[in-house]
Amino acid sequence: MTETEPKEFVASIDSDSRRTPVRVAFVTRRTSPQVRTHDDPYVMTFPEVLFRAATAVEALLLALALLSLFWDAPLEGLADPMQTPNPAKAPWYFLGLQELLHYFPPIVGGVLIPTLVVLALIVIPYFGINIETEGFWLKEPKKRMRALAIVVAALSVFLIVFEVWSVLVPTILIAGIMLLGASPAANSGFRKWLRMKPLSFWIMSWFLTVAIILTVIGTFFRGAGWALVWPWEA
Amino acid sequence: MSLRESIHSARRFLFGDSARAFGSVSAVLLVVLAVVPARDHFREWLHYQNEYQNLIRNRRDGVSLARRFQGGVQQVWLPQLGVVDRCGTCHVAMKEVSLAGIAPQPFHPHPPIPHSLTEFGCVMCHRGQGAATTVAEAHSSTLSWENPVLPARYTESSCGECHEQPLTGTPRLDDGRDLLAQYGCVRCHKVASPEGRTIAPSDHPPGLKHVAEKTSREWIFAWIKNPQSYASSARMPNFQLSDADARDISAFLISQSTPYLPEADQKIPPIPAAAGADAVQQGASVYGEAFCASCHAMQNAAGLMVGGNVGTELTRVGSKVKPEWLAQWIRNPGIYSPRTVMPHYRLEPKNIGLIMSFLGSKTDSDFLSNVHLDPATAEQIAHGKRLVTEKGCASCHDINGVPHPDNFAPDLSAVGSLQLSKIVFLPGMPHTLPDYISAKIRNPHSFGNALKMPQFTLSDSQVESLVTALLAQTTRATTLPAALRMPAPAPSTYEPAGSAGELIKDLRCFSCHKINGRGGDMAPDLTWEGSSVQRAWLVNFLKAPNTLRPALIRRMPKFDLSDEEANTLADYIETVYQTPAFDRNEIDAAKLGASDAAHGKDLFYGKYACNSCHIVDPNKDKGYIGPTLTQVGLRLNAAWIFHWLKNAQALRPGTMELNWNMNDDDARAITAFLMQQKAAAKGASK
Amino acid sequence: MPGLIDDIAGLRNSRVWRSVFRSGSGESNLHRSLAVQQNVFLHLASVKVRRRVLKFSATWYLGTLSLGCFLILITTGILLMLYYHPSVPQAYADMKDLQFVVSAGVFLRNLHRWSAHAMVLLVFAHLFKVFYRGAYRPPREFNWVIGVVLLMLTLFLSYTGYLLPWDQLAFWAITVGSNILAAVPVLGAKIRFLILGGHTVNANALLRFYVLHCVILPLVTVLFVAIHFWRIRKDGGLYVKEKTDDRN
Repeated sequence: MTETEPKEFVASIDSDSRRTPVRVAFVTRRTSPQVRTHDDPYVMTFPEVLFRAATAVEALLLALALLSLFWDAPLEGLADPMQTPNPAKAPWYFLGLQELLHYFPPIVGGVLIPTLVVLALIVIPYFGINIETEGFWLKEPKKRMRALAIVVAALSVFLIVFEVWSVLVPTILIAGIMLLGASPAANSGFRKWLRMKPLSFWIMSWFLTVAIILTVIGTFFRGAGWALVWPWEA
Repeated sequence: MSLRESIHSARRFLFGDSARAFGSVSAVLLVVLAVVPARDHFREWLHYQNEYQNLIRNRRDGVSLARRFQGGVQQVWLPQLGVVDRCGTCHVAMKEVSLAGIAPQPFHPHPPIPHSLTEFGCVMCHRGQGAATTVAEAHSSTLSWENPVLPARYTESSCGECHEQPLTGTPRLDDGRDLLAQYGCVRCHKVASPEGRTIAPSDHPPGLKHVAEKTSREWIFAWIKNPQSYASSARMPNFQLSDADARDISAFLISQSTPYLPEADQKIPPIPAAAGADAVQQGASVYGEAFCASCHAMQNAAGLMVGGNVGTELTRVGSKVKPEWLAQWIRNPGIYSPRTVMPHYRLEPKNIGLIMSFLGSKTDSDFLSNVHLDPATAEQIAHGKRLVTEKGCASCHDINGVPHPDNFAPDLSAVGSLQLSKIVFLPGMPHTLPDYISAKIRNPHSFGNALKMPQFTLSDSQVESLVTALLAQTTRATTLPAALRMPAPAPSTYEPAGSAGELIKDLRCFSCHKINGRGGDMAPDLTWEGSSVQRAWLVNFLKAPNTLRPALIRRMPKFDLSDEEANTLADYIETVYQTPAFDRNEIDAAKLGASDAAHGKDLFYGKYACNSCHIVDPNKDKGYIGPTLTQVGLRLNAAWIFHWLKNAQALRPGTMELNWNMNDDDARAITAFLMQQKAAAKGASK
Repeated sequence: MPGLIDDIAGLRNSRVWRSVFRSGSGESNLHRSLAVQQNVFLHLASVKVRRRVLKFSATWYLGTLSLGCFLILITTGILLMLYYHPSVPQAYADMKDLQFVVSAGVFLRNLHRWSAHAMVLLVFAHLFKVFYRGAYRPPREFNWVIGVVLLMLTLFLSYTGYLLPWDQLAFWAITVGSNILAAVPVLGAKIRFLILGGHTVNANALLRFYVLHCVILPLVTVLFVAIHFWRIRKDGGLYVKEKTDDRN
């Protein structure tokens, strides 16, 4: 926050906006809008932004139209409640979830985890640690190392109990990458960059990696009876 | 300007600022979007319609063909049947008979059929995806439509989805359904109509409860190892048993056998086979006179199979049956097997002995020469019983201690709708339902030895017929509007009454004749026989049947009926089996004038050319298809002939006789002519 | 740009034009500001933006492209509605009609389907891009929440549309999805009953999904998109990393 010099002014109440064209801005630590001085150049929304946006949308439409000309949307036989396809798959964006259901009981994989994910997404900006945005290893590295070890170990035990190897591997991998930035002696550019990353970055990256891996497995590597198959065998 | 500079300036021109970039991208987008409607002009069906118009342009009838041609998507919509049928979009010439044999597909005209296209569309019979307007989607099995167009040789199966009764146009379907019944397929598999009626088996697998009385364990062993090596026409399938399994099954079957003769019959002295040099020769004549060959086949010296296929083949019967059993069987088959179709002949013991010596000579020394069985152990018998139970022998045969299994094999009532995705195809075989079913029938064991279905001996054409009949068993048939269903009438439970009724049952008349809807169709329907024939002729015929149709091999057997029995039967037939359509005495043959007869002769040889099929003058006429009419004046009633000539189908549905729809005068004249035909019957009266 | 605009300048001075676009012609920033402010659709946006947010690397235009997908989906969706009956089994027959007899029907359906997939993908990408840029931080935290809501709406829109072709793919995907719902403790089966209009996916479910897909969810989405855009201006424009910023 930038502190503004206090100025003298008279505050009064008047309903005639013509006569009193005075705007008052109370700037505190907790409220928007931000007041900041910068010397960035501005461009007018009309036409600069609008043309760019329209061009972008047109390019998208162009790409989708070409796709639609050469690749037909799937259509299978008439819906038949008596004929269950094997495997029956949800739309691709739910396949990560369906993959979880393979490992966990429905109450965990189908309700608890997605609810927690949505809640987590909503609270992200309100959650103190994200706003501080300090590098995870910058403060109290020993204490945080212990905390990380406990969390990763607990998570690993949980995943091993349910035999969720496809989540366990990226979890350990990301914890390993985190450790690369742990040492203050680390002086390569990459490791310095890792050192500066806050906890929220790590959690989100872990979530994104796991979500992509689960979705890819569910989409391409699951065949009859939800058994693992190669995509070309399915 | 260098290339780089010109590229650079082109880029500046097209994407120099945001408005130029917008304009350039818009231009490309418009071009791509313009391709979309343009693509509609390259649709397959449009190509075929253009081709058709080129085809008819230079034909002499081109103008009228072009007038009847309608462009654009052609559609038959039948909401009650769930049919949207666009086949006519490409098959534009279905009604153009003049293009038959000239135009290539898809421009073949459709052969004439009893149904109209607008009433049923195409896919009701040919299947495939009617809504499609591309060749691949319409004809083949795709991701969005599993049911491809039926190969033309199986098209009759679609008739069977509505029609349960035999039709003149569906020989393959009817044959297939008969085979399902004849080969006992339906004894293990349920094959039900949408109304729930199952196909009843029409084979007669012998009961095995007294089998030890009939044959030896060695014969059973050799038979179950390979039934066709005993009789090439045998219908019993080959279970591909190992020697040990066949040994144990034969041991069990002998061990479970019980005596069958009631005490009264045991007191009758056994009949020995006739001895003597020419006993075999004489036995062959008795066998011939009794017309055993109407039902039983035998390989003759030339290796040709001669005789009917109702009874078992007798080529090697001498190696099979025990003489005591054979004598008892010929004397009265009903005692050993109450449900047999073989009639109870009234043969004299002497003749039975002669037949026995003839049949006893029909042996094959090779058949049992390699079979040597040690006495059975209790273990083997127990194992044999287990095998008999596992293999479902009791589905067909009555066996002591082994109950008839229910639902032994998969229900085939909806096999024609089997989902391809549910089928495990053999490597290399085409992924279609007909191919799968025929492979299953042809060689069940190629699908794994765990399958219980045995190996049947069927010709290619029989397999094709069976596939046709099975493809008719669809779920679609169950969803059709009730008005379209043409179910078979319920089977007749007609029972003739009184002592004549007992005789009819004893002589197994129903094995060949149909009366009031019950019985076989090997011989004429006797429902109106009383209106048809004269009593004197009938009595003679029952006692000594002569040949009505010279072209037929199958003939009425000679049962050696007593006078009393013949009279009882004739009385019953004359009284009971009368048509309500007319009085059999309404035309007095004596009153028919000679001039009528002369006119009738002209009509017989002239206008109606009856001599094409019938013989009146044996020296001159050559008609061998219909019954010989040399003594028809002694055989039939005048009224019957008269009404027969007017409308034969009304009297005997399905007869080969044409429906002449004759006027009264012509019918009367020909009746008069025929009633004069009273040539002395050879061997008719003794 | 000036060349193109000059060509239509005459038109823009006409009375009719002025009655529609009150801002009138002119190259001044005042005119350009008015062009945005006085347009019911554009007034949600600010009249000027910092040049740096227009760099492709800043946003990858993911929000714009998501909106673009939504507009394509609305257009193709309305055209598809002309050929569609939400009843069993006519819905499937309509797919066949689109495929085999409707002019450009295949293209229309393809475009709708691929745009739907693209939108889900783009909205997800948008979310992650915003997160990694740190653009969700105060004062933009509430707009992030609206974004999460829009992601949910996108998924619901896609999911409800998935059933409409009434083919095996649709039927079983929805069956699998709705069975997950049934795992919710106590209320699971009831929620599924409410959504499907029955215990299994049936004709009622098709009708409900149709109404949700074509009426309710699009309206709600339009509303939230409007708030989302309006909040961009209210929260100080698109986020740019300050050169003086010591964070990250």
